[in-house]
Amino acid sequence: MIILQKKYEYKNHYKQIKEQDFLKQNIRNGSILSISQWRKTKHIIQDQKIDVAVEFSSNDCSLSDHDEISKAAMIQINFETFKDGRPFTFAKMLRRKHNFKGELRAAGHILPDQFVFLIRCGFDSVEIKEEDKDIWLELLEIDEGLYYQP
Amino acid sequence: MYKYSDTDKKIITSRVKQFENQVKRRLEGKLTEEEFKPLRLMNGLYLQLHAYMLRVAIPYGELSSKQLRKIAFIADKYDRGYGHFTTRQNIQFNWPKLLDVPEILRELSSVEMHAIQTSGNCIRNISSDHLAGLTLNEIEDPRPWCEIIRKWSTFHPEFSFLPRKFKIAVIGCTEDRAAMLVHDIGLRIVERKNQVGFEVFVGGGQGRTPIIAKRIRAFLPKKDILNYLEAILTTYNQEGRRDNIYKARIKILVKELGIEKFKSLVEENFSKLSNKELEIDDKNIEEIFGFFRLPPLKSNTNQIPFKKNQEYQNWIKQNVIPHKIQGYSIVQISLKAPKKPPGDATSNQMIALAEISEKFSFSEIRVTHEQNLVLPHVSNKELFNLWNRLKIENLATSNLGLITDTICCPGMDYCALATARSIPISQKISKHFDNYLQQKEIGDLKIKISGCINACGHHHVGNIGILGLDRKGQEFYQITLGGSAKEDATIGEIVGPSFSENNLIEAIEKILNTYKKHKRNKSEDFLTVFRRIGIKEFKKDLYDNFTKKV
Amino acid sequence: MVKKLQGETFLLSANELKSGKVVFFTLKGWSSSSVEAIKIKVDEINKYEEISAKDEKKCIIISPKFVELDEEGNIKTLRDKIRNSGITIKI
Repeated sequence: MIILQKKYEYKNHYKQIKEQDFLKQNIRNGSILSISQWRKTKHIIQDQKIDVAVEFSSNDCSLSDHDEISKAAMIQINFETFKDGRPFTFAKMLRRKHNFKGELRAAGHILPDQFVFLIRCGFDSVEIKEEDKDIWLELLEIDEGLYYQP
Repeated sequence: MYKYSDTDKKIITSRVKQFENQVKRRLEGKLTEEEFKPLRLMNGLYLQLHAYMLRVAIPYGELSSKQLRKIAFIADKYDRGYGHFTTRQNIQFNWPKLLDVPEILRELSSVEMHAIQTSGNCIRNISSDHLAGLTLNEIEDPRPWCEIIRKWSTFHPEFSFLPRKFKIAVIGCTEDRAAMLVHDIGLRIVERKNQVGFEVFVGGGQGRTPIIAKRIRAFLPKKDILNYLEAILTTYNQEGRRDNIYKARIKILVKELGIEKFKSLVEENFSKLSNKELEIDDKNIEEIFGFFRLPPLKSNTNQIPFKKNQEYQNWIKQNVIPHKIQGYSIVQISLKAPKKPPGDATSNQMIALAEISEKFSFSEIRVTHEQNLVLPHVSNKELFNLWNRLKIENLATSNLGLITDTICCPGMDYCALATARSIPISQKISKHFDNYLQQKEIGDLKIKISGCINACGHHHVGNIGILGLDRKGQEFYQITLGGSAKEDATIGEIVGPSFSENNLIEAIEKILNTYKKHKRNKSEDFLTVFRRIGIKEFKKDLYDNFTKKV
Repeated sequence: MVKKLQGETFLLSANELKSGKVVFFTLKGWSSSSVEAIKIKVDEINKYEEISAKDEKKCIIISPKFVELDEEGNIKTLRDKIRNSGITIKI
């Protein structure tokens, strides 16, 4: 898997912590946490200035103001299916309501045809298979800049 | 009429390229059918009973002669020489090949047309009043607003994967000719304290759970329209049900939350998320309105020509209405000729109509939600010539608003979802009530026929609604009474057990007899009588002594 | 695909991906005529399901389905009859 940030390719620096290994001392720069793990540990993480990611499923994009999500370094949303449009609205909420300024990444079942939509809703990057890179870039080029909304 | 800007052109062209790419990936196996389906649907391409079906958008029902010619060309070259006008003012081709669709879309783009968002779980083609801009009691022409909303909703990055489809209608006066109250969002232009704005309705719809839309805002200033729509869609995209396709429309969300709770969520999104850039300023409005000015019509005292020809006189009485500019008329063309599938037009008829519209109506044609066409600006003195010309093309049927002017879905002859046929029912009705005077005596009456519970034929809001069902392999038809799609929108009531195809005409006759029996004067129409006496009388007359034919 | 099936004998049908036209599975492969379609007994369904799944994967067909036959070997439901012989109205 690779990370595409618009047309630039990156290696993934984030890693999940297995549930059985989830100990506070195992959290380090680049750890991916679930929202419940984040809720339990966010104060320590902030005290120690660790850059972690918080992960959501497209099925459960819910958040409250107490979550202080803007303090996370990265948020990853896993699409269970590309047909689920909730993450597009969730991305808008993260940017406009929760003031999240870090990297917002889409992963899971997403289509290259959705690339521009994702970017325009506030996503920065997508996690895709390396062999699919060309088609993602091709569709980015066909669609870029062609839309009516601000 | 609206003319594409450079941006419009680029967007439509790039969309054709994108779809071509999607078809290629599908044929190469890089997209599975499960992945391709929502993408093709967003381009109006279905798989039906016999073949693919392509639904082409006719934004707010407005066509130029050039566009109609192109549709005829496509029907001839890529289809079987005809097309079907739908209740959302679109046109459907029944037999295109997948391989040809990119080329068809390219042809359409050359006349500023497309099939974008005519299907799929996104914001569909915006529909409107087919008499927009033509009547005196209109507060403002709704078409410019439709165009503003069309742009905003096209490839909306956030709202292209909604829980379910989403339909919006806009009207500009009290009279509702667009079935606005059975849309997901209905907008009516209203005036308050010298300010023009929108009355906003939400959560209407038909299908298996028919609901009349509820008012969510009595007055919304014009400039806020896109922000308010965005607030509704944000709420729906987040909260709408995705666990059950039959409960995924916004009407179910509004029903489950209650309109007050739903409204509070919308208003909160509206106040917190509104975006200055989505506000519409007067300059925008003026620019868009510029596209929708009337052609150069000069008010005059020309009268409608009198001819000693009963057929012509019937047509004038039934199909022709006055234009807001004196000396001109609005001509309604019925696509319900006897024996013809309602809403169908052949390519020859379309080519003829294109020419006719150039000669008689400033090259403009409108499509109505009742599956008819309109020539909007015809000089009174030309009406007899026009009638003669239309008659040659079998386009002069005088039945607008009468019992044979049925709305009818394609039914099981074409549709993969249908449980019974609907076109043969409509044909039976038009054969049985063939006589104009007989129809005129029955008066204004709307029969609407659907071939399944999805209600594409609007049966819930027919004065007489007919729903085709499958009962152990046999086609049966359930009758509802008292529905209306107008400003007094009402869902019809089921009258009782359903009828076989062979019993249906007798059932309709009995219903009409009950009406005639209770009619107080010549002008009291079916719906008025129904509302006055209730369903009981009809039920009694219908089922007592019913002779069943096998 | 099998779950809802009732009856004893079936034809395997689908739509051709490229054209969308209705096709039936015969000894010679897919054909637009149902006349030579193979009559499939209920216990052979699995075998033909595999065939159709393969051809779906090869991007030849979409929307495969088993068409139920009545005791005389004719297509049973009205929908399938219309699907086989075309629209019942004149244009």
